[in-house]
Amino acid sequence: MTSPPTGEDAGPRPHGPGGPPAAARDLPHDPPGGARVTPPSTPQDAPAPGPARRAARLLPGLVVGAVTLALPAVLDDSALTVYIFLGLAAMVTVGVSLLMGYAGQVSLGQGAFYAVGGYTAGILAVRGGPPIAGLLAAPVVAAAFAVVVGVPLLRLRGHHLAFATLAMQLIVLSLAGRLAITGGDIGLQAIPPFGWGSFELTGAVGYAYLTWGGVALVMLVTRNVIVSRPGRALRALATSETAAASSGVPVGRYKLVVFALSAAFAGLAGGIYAYYTGYVAPSSFPVLLSIEYIVMAVVGGLGTVWGAVVGAAAITLLVQALNLIGTAPGMPSYAPSVLSYAVYAVVLITVVLFLPRGLFPAAVARLRRAPRP
Amino acid sequence: MLSVKGVSRSFGGVYAVREVSLDIAEGEVRGVIGPNGAGKSTLFSLITGHLAADGGAISLGSERIERLPAHRRARLGVSIAFQGARVFRGMTVRENVMVGAHGRTRAGFAAAALRLPRHRRDEREIARRADEALERVGLTEWAGREAGLLPLGQQRSMQVARALCAGPRLLLLDEPASGLRAAEREALATLIEELRAGGLTIMLVEHDVAFVTRLADRITVLNLGEVITEGTPAEVRADPLVVSAYLGAAS
Repeated sequence: MTSPPTGEDAGPRPHGPGGPPAAARDLPHDPPGGARVTPPSTPQDAPAPGPARRAARLLPGLVVGAVTLALPAVLDDSALTVYIFLGLAAMVTVGVSLLMGYAGQVSLGQGAFYAVGGYTAGILAVRGGPPIAGLLAAPVVAAAFAVVVGVPLLRLRGHHLAFATLAMQLIVLSLAGRLAITGGDIGLQAIPPFGWGSFELTGAVGYAYLTWGGVALVMLVTRNVIVSRPGRALRALATSETAAASSGVPVGRYKLVVFALSAAFAGLAGGIYAYYTGYVAPSSFPVLLSIEYIVMAVVGGLGTVWGAVVGAAAITLLVQALNLIGTAPGMPSYAPSVLSYAVYAVVLITVVLFLPRGLFPAAVARLRRAPRP
Repeated sequence: MLSVKGVSRSFGGVYAVREVSLDIAEGEVRGVIGPNGAGKSTLFSLITGHLAADGGAISLGSERIERLPAHRRARLGVSIAFQGARVFRGMTVRENVMVGAHGRTRAGFAAAALRLPRHRRDEREIARRADEALERVGLTEWAGREAGLLPLGQQRSMQVARALCAGPRLLLLDEPASGLRAAEREALATLIEELRAGGLTIMLVEHDVAFVTRLADRITVLNLGEVITEGTPAEVRADPLVVSAYLGAAS
């Protein structure tokens, strides 16, 4: 008998109920009906968690939430900028993780949706539209754009889909550089800040809260989707489109919806970016950005909501450190970008080789393995 | 109940299924046998919609289904447990089975994201169906496990549970007994008998002729993509054409 697949070779691997205990592999091959051997109970199979266990589970989330809320108050301006960009990247990466990790579809063009969101908010804002409308339109237009390009693109799979989405971003950037409405290569400048009525959001602290509020929103939406009927269907079609279709899942439509949802997350981040920086141009959305999101998602742990944020944080901070080195006196002008590319490659290869499930799942597994009192 | 009329499918000019016709009555267990390459699995794919027929008609009840995509046919009540173990990886056994109820429920992305009442209602319904199906195939104790780590026999049972979770009108079983041990085979046979007693219509492709003969009301024999005979197990066993097809005797 061939041994059952163990999951380690399964490519993108949504997080199940934690790592399976070694005992699960050695279970007797007993009949479903006959003399049944009760599978040994494991921590994962334990009955419903009591209030204490539930509190222990919520605790890490609460701590992270509190730190996230407290950080803007203590960070200086340049650190706040990094914090905001980190949040924007996390927002996009949660979408990438949903698309790649759960639904098994690759996109090397997530930066295009970020750009569409940024331009949508920017164009509305410079024409005097209310900022709130721009912020809502950014994800909606990005999602609509994803549906339009997704109909032909999502017929492709794997590498073909990756290259097609990459080409899509190049086309978007090229169009943005030529059209009058997007301001050509110069882009849109002096985009008025975000606000509500007569209130204007000008300080970085406000944008930090706006950004991280957005991160919390996309994380909540993703988690809610993943553990429910449409989420199970997405996770199913990632392994077998045939078997998913035979269970009544409209595979094509579901792939389109998840593509649009991930685009909406990127679009929302793009919208906030436009208001915060007050400036969008084709050069704001290089292809490197799309690659960065993939690296973040893979490094953090594909198919985990928290992993996306962990990956975004790890890579953003790493890039910051590299920028310090790359812009040190005596370094050539191309040093920062060369360093980034090199480090993405090194980090990606290292993680895939040594922590194939990503930083976050590896850390969780290590914590769980720690001796219990 | 299922009617297949003159259905063909060729690959590169070679017929995998040629002018196949069969009628299955409500509540019948129909065995489909034939040597390797006879077109049994292709016939199943044509019925489930994973392959498009070159010609011919397929009806479920009064409805023509040959042009519908696979997921629409599933929603009309065509369920299949595939050959081999097709497991949705990274999901628990229970989640795998829950996917089976997809076509029976409607809560979509918005309902799930916003935790609307429809989502709650459907999740309850899906959980009820899944637990029932797990109970039925004896997998209740395995429900919380990662499906990919199950032994082959349990993965098979899980697929049957997934198919049952949809509440099918027609259940297709593609070689459900191959690779199973004697006790597992027996449990599967018992399950199929129970399902028949419950009035479910079943199509069973199987290499093990004894297994099919025991369970099927009627048997269709395919060879080289064509129906060579059809009848009760006793009739089929006595048919010289069947014997020669199986022994590969030159005619």
